[in-house]
Amino acid sequence: MKLLTLALAALLPCLAASSDADPGKSLGSPTAPIRIEVFSDFECPACKGLHEQILPLIMRDYVIPGKVFLVSREFPLAMHKYSREAASYATAAARVDKYQPVADTLFKNQAAWEVSGKVWDTVANVLTPVEARKVQLLARDPSVMGEVERDVDAGRAAGINQTPTMIVTSGTRRFPVAGAVNYNLLRSMLDGLLK
Amino acid sequence: MVSSSRVFRAVVLALRWLLGAMFVYAAWTKLRQPWELFAMSIDAYKVLPYWAVLAVARTLPWAELAIGLALMAGRWLRVSAAAASLLLLGFFVLMVRTYVKGMQIDCGCFGLGDPISPRTLLRDGTLLAGCLFLTWTSFCGRRTAA
Repeated sequence: MKLLTLALAALLPCLAASSDADPGKSLGSPTAPIRIEVFSDFECPACKGLHEQILPLIMRDYVIPGKVFLVSREFPLAMHKYSREAASYATAAARVDKYQPVADTLFKNQAAWEVSGKVWDTVANVLTPVEARKVQLLARDPSVMGEVERDVDAGRAAGINQTPTMIVTSGTRRFPVAGAVNYNLLRSMLDGLLK
Repeated sequence: MVSSSRVFRAVVLALRWLLGAMFVYAAWTKLRQPWELFAMSIDAYKVLPYWAVLAVARTLPWAELAIGLALMAGRWLRVSAAAASLLLLGFFVLMVRTYVKGMQIDCGCFGLGDPISPRTLLRDGTLLAGCLFLTWTSFCGRRTAA
């Protein structure tokens, strides 16, 4: 909920998001000096930790002040039974501007749906009936499945083999940050890049 | 005697260069990026307090560089080979501990995309064996020309 509030505050500038970033899955100004792409899997516990504990801090300290452009990328791992389905629903939800609430609820209720397999029920809880119908149709749309696949391909091309991984880009320099993150260290690094 | 054989000396020389280059490469992969990235890798092992994570992240790459150059140059061979062995032994013990505990993290050895696995354990175990052999030869007076 906290992340959703912060996300809404940062939503407007991303209407002009750069071409390779899905505007519905991007937060902040595309012209920010630093770009962070977060490759995550909705069924991964460390991704839940990053989403719920670290991303709100990045939003508050860097995205809202216009220093970081945050892009969410899907990287469903083969070892997780329902993560690709979750990624498809989340990507479909981005087409109706509901990516953040869907991502929030998927991570919040991860322990339940990864056992029950009731991914759709979890997603539908944060959508209106009209949005739910659209998202259900969109999730089977080849363009949505293609977008998920492009994210996976981009992650593999960047050498990613675990989630979560953040690719921090500052100018022409790119730095991968893998696994659980200590925010003090991440902040020190981002501040150093902003100097 | 084996110690006087040219083959033995060639093997020791090749080992010195291989291990030295490996240490220099490991240092380079860390020094070319913000030090905080290496600090995050160390922190992921969850064995050091925060202040020690910072200290190790700032100093270890330089130590690796110095050890690597010394090994390649054949200078202070006993000290550099022993230091390299100690470092690799420390890394190896940590990696085994992490693997046994089932923690899925990057080893932090050569940058991203190197999660701890049987492959990385075999690699570091082999390097450790090579370093221990080099240390033994250096203390036995079997020095080779630089």
